[in-house]
Amino acid sequence: MTSPLWIGRYRSAFAVVVSAIFAAPLYLALVNVFKPADAIRAHPLALPLHDFTTANVAGAAQLSLVQHGLKTSLIITVGSLLLMVPLSAMAAYYVSRWDSKVARLLMLFFLFGLMLPPQVVLIPTTVILRHLHLMFTYWGVILNFAAYYLPFGVFVFSGFLRSVSRELDEAGAIDGASSLKIFWRIIFPLMRPATASVIVVTALWTWNDFLSPLIILGAAHGVTITTGIYLAIGTYSIDYGQEFGVMFLASLPVLALFLFLQRYFVSGLTGGATKG
Amino acid sequence: MLYVALVFLPLVLALSYSLTNKNLLSPQTAYVGFGNYRELLSDTVFKQAVKVTAIMTALIVVLPNALGLGIALMLRSETRLFAVLRTIFFVPIVLAGVVVSFIWQAMLTDSGVINSVLGTAGLGALQQGWLDTPNHAIGSIVAVATWQYVGFCAVVYLAALKAIPDELLEAAQVDGCVGFARFRRIIWPLVAPAVTINTVLLLITGFKLFDYVKIITNGGPGGATNNMALNIYSVGFTQNAFGLASAQAVVLFAIVAGLSTVAVLLLRRREVEV
Repeated sequence: MTSPLWIGRYRSAFAVVVSAIFAAPLYLALVNVFKPADAIRAHPLALPLHDFTTANVAGAAQLSLVQHGLKTSLIITVGSLLLMVPLSAMAAYYVSRWDSKVARLLMLFFLFGLMLPPQVVLIPTTVILRHLHLMFTYWGVILNFAAYYLPFGVFVFSGFLRSVSRELDEAGAIDGASSLKIFWRIIFPLMRPATASVIVVTALWTWNDFLSPLIILGAAHGVTITTGIYLAIGTYSIDYGQEFGVMFLASLPVLALFLFLQRYFVSGLTGGATKG
Repeated sequence: MLYVALVFLPLVLALSYSLTNKNLLSPQTAYVGFGNYRELLSDTVFKQAVKVTAIMTALIVVLPNALGLGIALMLRSETRLFAVLRTIFFVPIVLAGVVVSFIWQAMLTDSGVINSVLGTAGLGALQQGWLDTPNHAIGSIVAVATWQYVGFCAVVYLAALKAIPDELLEAAQVDGCVGFARFRRIIWPLVAPAVTINTVLLLITGFKLFDYVKIITNGGPGGATNNMALNIYSVGFTQNAFGLASAQAVVLFAIVAGLSTVAVLLLRRREVEV
């Protein structure tokens, strides 16, 4: 579509102004990472031109809550993914390839899990984990995440599977491969784009989650980076500058992931979404 | 199996706990029938939480949805500048709720950035306690949620807009269908599936909102932002009243499941009619 040039210019200017207002909190969070605490209070919006410092980040990196939190978050995120990705891929393969009443019911059952607020199942989950002696352990949090995000994986994978030809399955079957073998050797490698989306989005959610680690890991037993920030800022009231340093360190991994894999973020988050 | 053990079983257990007086601190658990539910009917804190949740969710369903569509329409050109601007709108989505909460807390407190900027700009009259009165606090929480989720809505709308064939818009232009008429008659019906997705996702987001209310206001002032999600957490894990908290969880679940089903059915019907 073509519109007169002057409309195009106004449109760009307008878009830039709106975006700048929207980005103000991000700007604020970023510039104050590199300013001393008193400068943050006095001139929160100023650029760190003459008082640029990396002391906030260095100080934040020294905090044991942050070190411990980053390590725990990494373990939990990777653990949850290792469990959740293959399980949801296989479940999706099953429900989308076998046309039985059971499979359809199972799909409905998974979709239903997509809209479940975590608070609804959290209390019984803690009781079950306590019985299994997994409360206050990494495993407890990992199992909880893997189960809770399973429906999302099933949803994305089964959406993708609709575009994978069934002839491949049949060819494999004729060659005498078992369905498990067909899945791992033929189907799963083909689903790489869907797998990337599921990994990226689930990694983001598990890394950023606050409620589950707060309860299941328990602050006295271990912290993830999110509960670590909460304790560092909320309870121990650290230096104002370090606050921004801590948030910077916590966000750096997801921001890096996002900038490099933006494509997968968008397709994962909107995965089933754009298909309607 | 894992899903059954840690998602479905808990849901069933939540139902059964809600009929007991289970409390982590007392060893005896007895069946109390619908006692917990009866108690909720006269529980002013719970009723307040339901009201707060309803108000916040209603605003959160509408605001990011409407603004997201506006932003999508604004940023849909394929130039480099607009690609950068789109990325900016998407950044808040990848940040942790905890981080977003603390950034906004630094802005919203009495001596926070918003008030100091207003002061410097000579707009001291507009300075206020953004978290001090019930209305301001609810408004602030909704603003934070809108800021974080508007980019997501915009991305979903952008994908829907991209799917509209250029020929269709050009044909409309030839027929004199421009401006608002073009939006009303062509764009709006064709983004209907995106409206459904955003509405349902925002609905669920609104009901489970926890990080902001826990960190920015901790339910205050005076319970003004104590939503159902936070209340279940306090009753369940601070007072350890698992039975009562489970009854609240069941009510929350019933509302979320009911409303999302209704929303999907209503909005889907609109999609079919087009």
